[in-house]
Amino acid sequence: MRRVLIGTITFLLGSIATSMAYSQELGPVNGNAEAGAQLYYDHGCHGCHGYSGYGRQDLNNTGSPWLMNVEVFRAFLRARANEAPILPSTSMPNYPQNSLSDEMVNDIYAYIRSLPDNRPETEDIPTLLNILEAAGQREFKK
Amino acid sequence: MNKNNTKDSDRSLPKTDRRKFLKGAATSAAALAISPTAKAQDPSAYNASYTAPSYQQMQRDAGMVTPPEPDTRMVVRPGSDLMVQALKEMGIEFVTSNPGSSFEGIQESIANYGDPPNHLPEFITALHEESSVDMANGYAKSEGRPMVAMLHGTLGIQHASMSIFQAYHTGTPMLLLVGRDVGFIQAHTADDMAAMCRSFTKWDAQPTSLEECIDTLHEAYRQAVTPPTGPVMVVIDIELQKEEAQGFQLPPFRPAVIEGIDAATAKNIAQRLLNANNPRLETGPFRTPEGVESAVQLAELVGASTSTTAVAASMSFPQRHPMCGPGADTNYDFILGLEAASPDITLKRPIVNSLTAERDKMSIGFGSLRENYVPNPPGAEPTPMEEDQRANQGTLLTIDAQASIPIIISELSRLITPEQQRVINERKARHATANREAFLSALADAVEEKKRGWDLSPVSTARLYAELWPLIMNEDWCLASPTNFSGGHHRQLWEHNKPYSFLGTQGAGGMGYGLGASVGAALAARSRGRFVVNVQCDGDLNYAPGALWTAAHHELPMLAVMHNNRAWHQEYMFVQYLAGVRGRGTERGHIGCVLRDPFIDYSKMAESYGVASEGPIEDPTLLAAALNRGVESVKAGKPYLIDVITQPR
Ligand SMILES: Cc1ncc(C[n+]2csc(CCOP(=O)(O)OP(=O)(O)O)c2C)c(N)n1
Ligand SMILES: [Mg+2]
Repeated sequence: MRRVLIGTITFLLGSIATSMAYSQELGPVNGNAEAGAQLYYDHGCHGCHGYSGYGRQDLNNTGSPWLMNVEVFRAFLRARANEAPILPSTSMPNYPQNSLSDEMVNDIYAYIRSLPDNRPETEDIPTLLNILEAAGQREFKK
Repeated sequence: MNKNNTKDSDRSLPKTDRRKFLKGAATSAAALAISPTAKAQDPSAYNASYTAPSYQQMQRDAGMVTPPEPDTRMVVRPGSDLMVQALKEMGIEFVTSNPGSSFEGIQESIANYGDPPNHLPEFITALHEESSVDMANGYAKSEGRPMVAMLHGTLGIQHASMSIFQAYHTGTPMLLLVGRDVGFIQAHTADDMAAMCRSFTKWDAQPTSLEECIDTLHEAYRQAVTPPTGPVMVVIDIELQKEEAQGFQLPPFRPAVIEGIDAATAKNIAQRLLNANNPRLETGPFRTPEGVESAVQLAELVGASTSTTAVAASMSFPQRHPMCGPGADTNYDFILGLEAASPDITLKRPIVNSLTAERDKMSIGFGSLRENYVPNPPGAEPTPMEEDQRANQGTLLTIDAQASIPIIISELSRLITPEQQRVINERKARHATANREAFLSALADAVEEKKRGWDLSPVSTARLYAELWPLIMNEDWCLASPTNFSGGHHRQLWEHNKPYSFLGTQGAGGMGYGLGASVGAALAARSRGRFVVNVQCDGDLNYAPGALWTAAHHELPMLAVMHNNRAWHQEYMFVQYLAGVRGRGTERGHIGCVLRDPFIDYSKMAESYGVASEGPIEDPTLLAAALNRGVESVKAGKPYLIDVITQPR
């Protein structure tokens, strides 16, 4: 068991190194994003990552190496399956094969990749501009 | 006269209202008479439990009703009047309670004794004892002074116990008065009632005479506010409340005397502050607003940059005071810790855990409360952990910083030379510029961070705080609810400059605290031209939602903005995680953790308790206008609830 695990970890690190060393390009998307959206919800991804990829832990625009391509993503979900999490040390649940099949992982990956950027320009958000401006003008009063 | 004074009596109902009320009663009685369920009842059901009418019933049925004898008033000056007078003299503003016969004497005295009656203290009606104590907690955190929660015997104490436990963890001063009526229902009484929560109260007493009771109330107040501050309990027999006080003279209340450092130590600190090129103050929460004021004076006097806990707790150094921040130079050559650790000299008041060995009758152990504990008994060998903490703390003096600062200030005023004053003034100007820049630059970073998911529906928690801030930044506000589950974005976006700006967390992580604490803070706010903001989690609201009615009934300025993620989301994440680790599928982690099927309509809930409300709001573009209506409502003294459907975290 231990050997399998170490093997997986080595593969995982290898894949990241490969994907980071040889390209910053994102891998292809094969799954069904619509089905992925439902799986993303049913399997609790939204718990930490929000309904649309923004939350306690963002999925969008993070440049996370775990999201470079679906192989790395799948390996990441599987690496700690049936074990207490060892790598990487996050509070993310494990997703073994019997939780999410390879096909389901593909769909979730497609959904994550389909999430639009949702960080408007600060200049376009009057509320935030107002906060910045008011703070600049404010003098402390007792 | 204060219109609230007679609110609970139907005398205050305008004539038309009374008529409506009576008409309503008559209609429902008529409805009962023709109700089909009434007709369908089995007549044999009555026979089974038939008992003969009493003599009085037969007399009445025969029309022989005689009016009752006019009551001669036996007790002219009931003991409970004196108890209430003692509360008045101690400055207790509010007694919050759910009614119970074991303290009916005190309750009646609050309602009828004094001119005007029901004022200082005012009786605040609570729908659950847990709410009563949470209210006292929120009030004390925002004002730095205690109020009273009154509890009905064994039952009231047990309903209140979790809230008392949290107040103990926080070290919140409050008076818990418990009624005891040995002659009534046995289950409601006990020989040593306070024992049930002795492990998490600072002090308790059960006086046996009226004289002793008054002394005990005085001492209870002093105990509550003297470090280690905390909840104290007085068990008061009904007989003492009802007995005739005759000529008993109420002794004057002597306030607590809280010791500070001695003059020699103060002089030493003053010299080190003056001799330093770059002195620094590390500050934690003080006891009362006066403590904050003294700390500000000290920082200004010596031109020291100062840290704050304002985004974590009340009674903290004002966040945007020119001295607050890292300062122009972070190489500090003398650091004075005032309720916060320092490598040089730390002044820190004792906290309740110093009493646990003596009070912890149930061997609770107190988890985290114990972990941080550095006991300082004279002559005791320090443990390695304590040694380590002391090394990092430099000289630790277990003494109240707030009481010590004025002594340091008076030494400083004597010592300071014109040349030193000139240097200090220059340093202050440099610090002010640097601190302002540091604040604005952190804010600019925060804004970039908080705009993530700005347009999402359900609403992002950051947007909720961001939209609220411009509407309240020029008002007098108090953020009373814990904010850890809603992202706590006020920490980076808002400015916390008042002793009551933010009241911090639950104390022991007990859910259900947020609403009660906010209502308590709103009690303080009502007469002070201030309003309370409560970012209300849905899970938290459902433990004791009746406090909404208290807010409506007493017209409390509380704006509740919901972080409604339709779940006990924190727990959902835990279960989900474990399901993943155990490899048994990740589709059922929500079981027992979500509040859906059906959704709860919080706007309707608030409405039914008499609190104006709107929502659910899922579209973020509708949020600002709703919040604006809410702010207008609380500024006019009316509570308001906005149900906002939010991202889970
Ligand atoms: C009295 C009590 N019961 C249960 C818990 C366990 N608990 C911790 S967080 C939490 C969920 C809180 O839900 P909510 O207030 O809606 O916040 P959310 O996590 O959903 O943002 C619960 C039930 C607790 N801390 N206190
Ligand atoms: Mg919730």
